[in-house]
Order: sequence, then C-alpha cells, then structure tokens
Amino acid sequence: MIGIEIHQRIDSCKLFCNCPSLIMENESDAKLTRRLHPVYSELGEVDVASKREFERERTFEYLAYKECNCLVEADEEPPHFMNPDALGIALEIAMHLNCKPVDEIHIMRKIIIDGSNTSGFQRTAIIAMNGELKTAKGLVRIPQISIEEESAGIVESKDNSQSKQNTSTFRLDRLGIPLIEITTDPDIKDKEHLHEVAEKIGMIMRATGKVARGLGTIRQDLNVSIEGGARVEIKGAQELKMLPVLAELEENRQRGLLAIISELTKKFKGKLYFEKEITDVTEVFSETQSKMIRAGLDSGAKVFGIRLPHHSGFLGKELQPNKRYGTELSDYAKSAGVKGIIHSDEEMGKYSISSSDLSKLWEKLKMKEDDAFALVVAEEKTAIKALENVWARATTDFIPNETRRANPDGTTSYMRPMPGRARLYPETDVPPIRVTDELISSVESGKSDSLDEKRKKLQKMLNSEMAEVMIKSRNLPLFEKLTARFKKTEPMLIASTLENTLVSLRREGFELKDVPSTLDDLFSNYESGLFVKSAISEILKLVTKGASVQSAVKEGKLQRITGKELQKIAKENGNDLQKIMQKYRLNVDPSELSKSKK
Amino acid sequence: MYSSALESEFKKKGIVIGDRIRVEKDGKSNEGLLMPRASESDILVIKLDNGYNVGFSSKGTEISLVKKGPKKAPEIPCHDLKGDISILGCGGTISSKVEYTTGAVYPAISPCELKKAFPEIEKISTIRANQIFALLSEDMNSDHWQIAAEAIKNEIADGVKGVVVMHGTDTMTYTSAAISFMLQDLPIPVVFVGAQRSSDRPSSENEMNLLNSVYAAKSELAEVAVCMHATTNDDFCYLHRGVRARKMHTSARAAFQSINSPPLAAIDYRSKMLKPLSQFRKRSDNGNKKLKADLKINDNVSLIYVHPNIKPKLISSLSDYDGVVLVGTGLGHVPTNPFGDKNAKPVLREVEQLIQSGISVVMSSQTLYGRLNFNIYTAGRLLGDIGVMGNGADWTPETAFVKLSWVLGHEKDQKKVAKEMMTNMVGEISERSVIL
Repeated sequence: MIGIEIHQRIDSCKLFCNCPSLIMENESDAKLTRRLHPVYSELGEVDVASKREFERERTFEYLAYKECNCLVEADEEPPHFMNPDALGIALEIAMHLNCKPVDEIHIMRKIIIDGSNTSGFQRTAIIAMNGELKTAKGLVRIPQISIEEESAGIVESKDNSQSKQNTSTFRLDRLGIPLIEITTDPDIKDKEHLHEVAEKIGMIMRATGKVARGLGTIRQDLNVSIEGGARVEIKGAQELKMLPVLAELEENRQRGLLAIISELTKKFKGKLYFEKEITDVTEVFSETQSKMIRAGLDSGAKVFGIRLPHHSGFLGKELQPNKRYGTELSDYAKSAGVKGIIHSDEEMGKYSISSSDLSKLWEKLKMKEDDAFALVVAEEKTAIKALENVWARATTDFIPNETRRANPDGTTSYMRPMPGRARLYPETDVPPIRVTDELISSVESGKSDSLDEKRKKLQKMLNSEMAEVMIKSRNLPLFEKLTARFKKTEPMLIASTLENTLVSLRREGFELKDVPSTLDDLFSNYESGLFVKSAISEILKLVTKGASVQSAVKEGKLQRITGKELQKIAKENGNDLQKIMQKYRLNVDPSELSKSKK
Repeated sequence: MYSSALESEFKKKGIVIGDRIRVEKDGKSNEGLLMPRASESDILVIKLDNGYNVGFSSKGTEISLVKKGPKKAPEIPCHDLKGDISILGCGGTISSKVEYTTGAVYPAISPCELKKAFPEIEKISTIRANQIFALLSEDMNSDHWQIAAEAIKNEIADGVKGVVVMHGTDTMTYTSAAISFMLQDLPIPVVFVGAQRSSDRPSSENEMNLLNSVYAAKSELAEVAVCMHATTNDDFCYLHRGVRARKMHTSARAAFQSINSPPLAAIDYRSKMLKPLSQFRKRSDNGNKKLKADLKINDNVSLIYVHPNIKPKLISSLSDYDGVVLVGTGLGHVPTNPFGDKNAKPVLREVEQLIQSGISVVMSSQTLYGRLNFNIYTAGRLLGDIGVMGNGADWTPETAFVKLSWVLGHEKDQKKVAKEMMTNMVGEISERSVIL
C-alpha cells in the first residue's frame, strides 16, 4: 500500500514574516551559532525522534542573508501573522482537490531538532480535510492539506574529533518559504497509479499559476507498507520518475526484513531477544595493521564490540541493491554519531584486520559458531551509544516505523524513528485563524480555473494533441499570459513556439536567457507585422546571441515582404508560388501570396 | 474556554478536556482529543491522532464521547533543601511553559523541574531550589522585591555559596537594582537570570543562561549580577552589574546590555571561562564585613517621561508622591522656556512646587547613555537651582527610580535624601566615564 505526501512551494512572501522568498546565490551576510535541546509536548511526552537526535552533541551554524532573512528566521523575533496570500493560495488548491477548509486553523510547532529550523520546530497547520482525487484507478482520498514553513537548507556537516562535536551548517534563505503539503491515504494501488497521482496533483497545483517553479520547489515523500510490514516514510524524492522505484525497493526491503525476522526467531526458538553485551576490545587491536582502526586509536578513540548471537550470515543478506541487513544496523549506529560499523559478514581484508586480530576478537567477545559481531571505533561514550542502538535494532522483532531518506539510486537510508504526535504542540505566538465565510468567498472569487476547466479551454484554442501537451507543461502559465495579451496571434503559434521551437533550439544549443520577456517582444512585433511565422526560429537564434527582436530581424534580413513589394516579387517570378516560397520562405506569408495572386 | 451551550452539552455527555471524542458533520467524521481553548468560542479544538490541532465549528455537528482520557498524575511537591547553590524561582519566561487554557506562555516550571530538565546543572554544583513566586515580571512590584530580598537573606544565613534568581526579563533590572541596594556588602554572588525564548522551544536559551548563572554563583564574585546571553549565538553570557543592566530589545537573546559601564565579565561554563571585563567586588574583598540588609522601601515614587506637549498639570498631579524621577531630555532637561517663546509651555514652576512641598525630584536621561550635566544649558541650571537631584550622575532611569524608592524608605529629609542619592553605593554612579 502506498500513500504520498507532496510538498510544493507557494509563490509568495515567507509564511510568518515579510521577507521575500528568494534563493540566494551570493555570499551570506552573517553567521549565527546555536544549539538545540528536546522539550516536552503539551501532553507531557518527549518525541522519540527528537530524543534520538539530541543524543548527538551538535552545534548548528546558520548563514543569513540580509535580503531575505530577518530576526524571525534568526529566531530572535516572534512570528508575525500568517501570510494571507500564502493561506489564500493553499486554500484555493485545497478547493481544487475537493477538500473542505477547517473552521479554525491552529498553527502547530512540529519539533525537529536536526538543526534545519533555528527555532527547533517547523510551524505547520492543517487548513483543509477530507478531499479526494479522481484517477483512472478509482478515488484516492486526501485526508488533509497543511500549510507549513520550508526548512533551512543544509550546507555541510562536520565532525570534529578533538571536541567530539558535530557542527552542521545551514543556510537561512529557504527557511520560512510557504509550502503546501498534500497527503493522500494509502489508496495508491501500484507503480503506474503512483505516477498518475503524483503527476495529477502536481498539475492541479501548477494550473493555479500561484506555486513556485524550478528545481527543489516540489518534493514528494512516500508512505509504503506491506502486509505484516510497517509504515515507512521515505523523504526527499526530487524526481517524479524515481517514486515507483523507491516504492518497489522499499517493498522488497520490508519483505526481506520479514524473512530475516522469521528465520532469526526460529534460531532463537520463538523469541528474537538476547542480552546486551558491549565490550571494550581496544586491546585486541594494540598491534593491528588496520590503518582505519590505527588512525582511530591514535586520535584517542576506542574500539567497542557487541556479540550478535545466531546472526552469522544474516548481516550480509541483501535487502536493496548494495544495502544489507548490516547496513540497517550500521544506519542505527550512525545516528549516535559514529561513521559506521564493521561486522563479521564483511570481508575483513578490506579493513586489513588480520586473522590474529580476528581470533583475539572472537575470544574477547566469547563468540560461538553461528554468532556475528559488530565493532565501532569512536570515543567511548559515542561508541557505547552506537552499539546500544545496534543492539536495540537487532532485538526488534518487527519492522520499525521509520523515516528514511531517498538515495539517488532508489534505495533508502535510515534517518530517524517515525515521529509521533508528541512532536506537535501549539504555536502559542500566533493565534488561531478563523476561516470565515468572507475568507472562503474571497478565495473563491480569485480562484483560477480548475484543471478540467483549463483543459476544456485549451481544447478550444489548440488541437487536441497540443492541448494535452500544454496542460501538462511547465509553460502553461506563460502560454495563458501570452494568449491573453496577443489576441491577434493564433494560440497554436504561441503553443508551438513554446513547446516545439524553444525545445529544438535548446537542443541545438541556443538557450534564451529570459523567455517571458523575449516572447513578449517577439509576439508584439509579430502582431505589428514585422516578420512572418516561419522566421521565428531564426529570430530567436539571433536573440540568444544578444540581439533584440527588432535588430535580429534587421540583421537576419527577416523583414516581412508584403503589399506592393510582394506583388512586385510575384510578377518578377512569374507568379510561381513554389519558386517564390523557395526563395522567400522566411519573408513571405504564403496565404497573403496566394490571395495577391488572385 | 467553550461557550456555555457547549459546556452544558459536554456535561450532559460526560465529556471533559482530554477525552477522545468524535465530531460528525455532513457525513464526515473526525476523531481526536478535546483540547482546552483560550477565548470563549463554539469552535471545538480537537487534537487528531497525528498530533495536529484543528478547530471544528460545533454548529450542526454531532459530538460524541469515544473514550475517557487518562487521569492526571499527581504533581510531585517541590522541596529541595540541600546544595551549595540556591536557585530561587520568581517566574518569567525562563521557567515558563505553554498554558493550554489560554494558549499563552506562563511561568510554571519549578526550579526542581528545571534541575530534572537540565541534569548538567549538577555537574557544575550541587543545588537547592525553591519557588518564591511565579509571576510575569510586569506584575512584580516593590513588595516582591522585599520578598525576594528576604529569601536571599535567609539563604545567605543558611550558608549557601551563591544564589541564582530566575526572573522574568521585562522588569528584571528593577529587581536586581533593588536587591543591590537592599543587600549590601554581600558575602556571595546573587545572580539574576532569565530567558527571552520560552522553555517549551528547543531553541530556548534558558539552559545556557541558567547553567552560566550557576557557574557565576560559584565564582569569586560578591555582587548582584544579571547573567544573560552576550550575543545572538549560543556561545557565552555576560554578567552585568545589577544596577547597570538594561533590557534593550523586545525579543532578541542579547537584549541585556550594561549601560555606561562595561559588563562585569564574560562567562562560559563549558570552557570554564570567567573573563573579567571590569573591576568587581570579590568574596575575598568582604573581610569581616557582615551583610548589610535594609529592606525598607517607599512604594510612593513615580517615574515620568518628559516629552513635547507635556502638560504642567501632569507635573502638578504628582503632588501625592513622595518622590518623582524625571526621564528628561539630553543632559537632563524639561521645558523651562528661558527665551520666553510665546508658544512654549514650561513646567519648571510645577517642578519647583513639587520640590517645595517636600517631594524629592531626581533627574535621569532618555538618551540612557552618558552623564547628566545641569551646567551646559540654562534649562539645566534652572533645574539645579530649584533643587532637582542627579547632576553628574550616569544612572539609568530605572536605577534612579529604585534608588530613590529605597532611600525614601528610610530617609525623609530632602537634604539627606539628596546626599544619599548622590553617593555611589553599589556602582550605580561611576566617577569616570570610561571609553567603552
């Protein structure tokens, strides 16, 4: 079963301050250094995900930009009111998805102490509920739509072995940009269906023309579960086409884990459990040739090991391409701040661990025939914590609910336990927002056409093939703008310029810098009769080299030949239509020519 | 708080806050925990299973009880009598949490709870903790200064090595100044601490400020100090002299600054740093001196901001006070109209009448930075001539106000009051204006 969560940036100022939503390319103007700690929710619970995060000693650095950051993003000023433009756009999208706006919006703080928010939480609020999406394979329910703040973008994460501290650096330009989050129920039937749902929701949002475009402005998270498995959330899939791959590989992972759990349970005679025995094995490696261990020992680290009874052979079982059960344990160890684990199903040669090291280790850990081990090289406290995590994961006899990160190859890595409700508590700095009838009707009056309405309109303007291309196109808002402005120009010409001419020019290496203003210039000169349709491609080529449309026409001798001049040419060429068009294809409108002949 | 109609419906159905309920409307049904709400309303606030709160209008909605909520565990009483450093709680953001009946932040966490929340404290020192009151600092007045002073005095008598006072930031420096005058020749440090971000946020600076204040309370210092973030970063704190600190920002971490003097020290418990930035009184300076406690205070003092269009009758209306602190312009001025302009409306006469009726009138400046000087302009000379006090002082308006309240607590004679006011007692008047 698959559900999807789509996060789309809204095209407006930031959600809780008046900063513009900009992604900066210049150097940052200021740097802040902060630390975070876990807190209790209104129900008196501490969220398991944030507790796990706090186990690492972390310092956060934030790069701030004068142009798009203020004291709100610096967590030095309380949030202002929720941006009414952003809320209006989110409500409009909710209406297009048949959701019912809630009667009162309560802004919540979602605790996230990985540093991606200066405050230690993300502000989020449900704005509408109980919607549905019609698809080829039936209805997909949309239980909720929220509006939330974009997080800060990570720049780098560094471990300082001397201070035993991790320092992560984030940039604040992105922080606070409004996002709409659309969540579906696990109604998605298969991979094709997943593609359809994700694409359709994306199109519905883009059809409003009020959401941000470009790389990173939309993100999809998946919820995948199989019978007997767990609900696993996969975050950060950037490309639509990766979603089916992620879903399939996650289903495989859960199936593989179920098989491992069932076999291990047999080996443990009914209950997968063993005592936690974490041993300092540093002395085993006092003479080691392993460069990696040597380097650790030289910097003051220790080697700790844990015996994993009956686990021999299991750690090497592949769950996803190049991801083994050992990788699962290693990911849990990493969350305590180590770089990874060395386990007994690995080739010891790759660490240059000698057989004498190994036999000493077996002795020290009191290993038996079918046992496995895991080692970590780290400072004592971190090492013990890491192996405790390994033990806790290895003695879990079910698939844990997790949040996992999407890797570019479609596999996933453990990020944190699935956060629970304890992660959310009210944002007391912003009062609840009553969704009044006035608010609803003002959103309705400014509402853009729905996707279906748009499709009908396009079908009237274009042939059915081009209409379908245009409805899915990123260029749709620009097409709408251009057709509204240039009423004398055939919509088909505008559409094919956007979808065909520009694409083939790009393929030939001609890239327009500013498409909207160039096309504006192009079609206004076209309407004044400066050139004919067939010259467009040549004109645009010259524009990519820095010319204006008018100078490109002059330079390329692409002026339209019309009226008396055209009659003269026709006479000179004996009114041979074919001959004239061969010579003057880029200057003559064939329909005028055929008229003038008559 | 829900509308009375809703409250009676809840009563009928046996529903209380925290119960799991179902709301059904137009064939759609939602379930969750009933949450309390701030202002009276007929909108139900439900916490859904995913943790989100959502408001549902109760109009045309069928409400039903699904499951009773868990009973609240009884609170563990907060008594803790051992420990070298005493933490006294007065309330404020540093010890605040979300109050779900009003939706706002209120002071509630006892020092004991903080000890549990920040186990690192005990790596710095053993501590004892006591909540003397839990107030937002704007609600505090001189009665509370006396209660706090009494509590600190008792802790000193009990032999603690240092006192930390957790306090709201808005009026913290009034209290720190009051304690500075009330408890002189301190044998130990008394460190005020607060936070600008409430403790229910992961980014709250309460932890760092509190741990640094405990570290300061263990140090050589023997003065009243204010310990707050030095910069926007979570790197170190400043210790400000209790009579010199002022809150200079509504919300930022580094809101507190020392006015007209450098901070006493920069402090960071993590790197065990206490770097002096100006001279301060040390435990070892105390010799055989005993704590000089004088808790008497006069609560009949006013603080008036001078402004264009200030009405003479405003000044006359202060005749029932025993003391008035004027926050004058520039070097310490009020409108005196020395050039006889026809549109100017001086208040000099009214100020003089107050003084002649026995009221002590003290000057301070709106510029906050710099020293008062009545000799530069005619206005200042006229004010000096009629007996306004403060010429040459470099105190903050709040410190002048607290000092006058304290001096008038035990002295009525205007001349003696003037002499005491102009005598530097605890660093509130500096002899030299240092280059900062």
